[in-house]
Amino acid sequence: MGELTFGVFSSLVGSMSLDFAFKLAEAGIAKGHKVNMWLSGNAVMMAKKGQKPFKDYSHNEKLMKELMSKGMEVTVCEACAEARGYHKEDVPEGMKRASMDWYLAKTVKTDKLLHIGGE
Amino acid sequence: MMKLAVFLSDWRRTEDSFERMKAEKMGVILVGNGVYHAVVKENGKDSPVLSKSGANFYVLSDDLTTRGFTAANVNSKVKIVSYGDIVDLIMNDYEKTAWL
Amino acid sequence: MGAVNLLFVVQRPPYKSENARLALTHAIASQTAEIYMDDGDSVVPIIVFVGDGVLNMVKDQQAMKVYGVTSTESHIKSCLLIDLPVWVCKEDMTRLGLKEENVITDAEDMGAELKTKFVSFADIQKEMESVKHLLFF
Repeated sequence: MGELTFGVFSSLVGSMSLDFAFKLAEAGIAKGHKVNMWLSGNAVMMAKKGQKPFKDYSHNEKLMKELMSKGMEVTVCEACAEARGYHKEDVPEGMKRASMDWYLAKTVKTDKLLHIGGE
Repeated sequence: MMKLAVFLSDWRRTEDSFERMKAEKMGVILVGNGVYHAVVKENGKDSPVLSKSGANFYVLSDDLTTRGFTAANVNSKVKIVSYGDIVDLIMNDYEKTAWL
Repeated sequence: MGAVNLLFVVQRPPYKSENARLALTHAIASQTAEIYMDDGDSVVPIIVFVGDGVLNMVKDQQAMKVYGVTSTESHIKSCLLIDLPVWVCKEDMTRLGLKEENVITDAEDMGAELKTKFVSFADIQKEMESVKHLLFF
């Protein structure tokens, strides 16, 4: 089994690319791969717990928590989060915050990288 | 030369990197609004994306059905795949990925 | 593992989206990534501007004056200052009517020795082939 790392920069609402990344991560974990996810730019919208699941909006918190419970590492860009008013106390349980160098370091050991650079 | 999986998630594009990129083995994975390249024939013609020489084309089944299309609409050059299939393509068939 | 090469490819213009800025700040973060890595490991980035992304390279940007935010130009110059290679696609510059005199060619005002490299798409293709990972913005 291998290691797959995602870097995702797309917003929670207004782009389905973040939804895509979580679903692909789910499939990767189901196949036994180690999966890591870096959320930066507008993807740090995931760094706010307690999001209400309206049917008109994407909602990935439940799936993200489920995947973290299965070993997926999720880390958000600390500066991107703070710039948007998402603080340490807002972070869903299990999610980490770090600076951008965390992501760069992950690229060294991971077998494959899927970098979804925003739109 | 490399083995490259290229992800296209848009229908209209302004970047021209895709047209110029080359690979010994290239997989073009159509996701999100990129699935329209597999089903729409603008003015009766296939999407120019499908003319990429030597590439293998894939389209994500979920993103097709989300947009009201079925397997019957998909261009014969394109293989319909699941999320699990895409994981296998990334992990087993291609060395690196490019989300354009 | 040793040194891992990464190619950051910027294909969109600045300011309307955060893409170019995030490409630059992430590339610069390679300088401090060692704290998360094993001894002897490192990441070696190159940042390249292609397609409409070459518009990021236009000099004399006034983003701080107008928007109150750091300019893409200042980040590009920071890259040169830390010896992080900055490449620009020559064909795309020509297509968009840009000449070397219109774009950021150096950061001598900041004390940088490294200069912008003007390359063909064929050179970029070669680099895409040689690096471990591609990061398109």
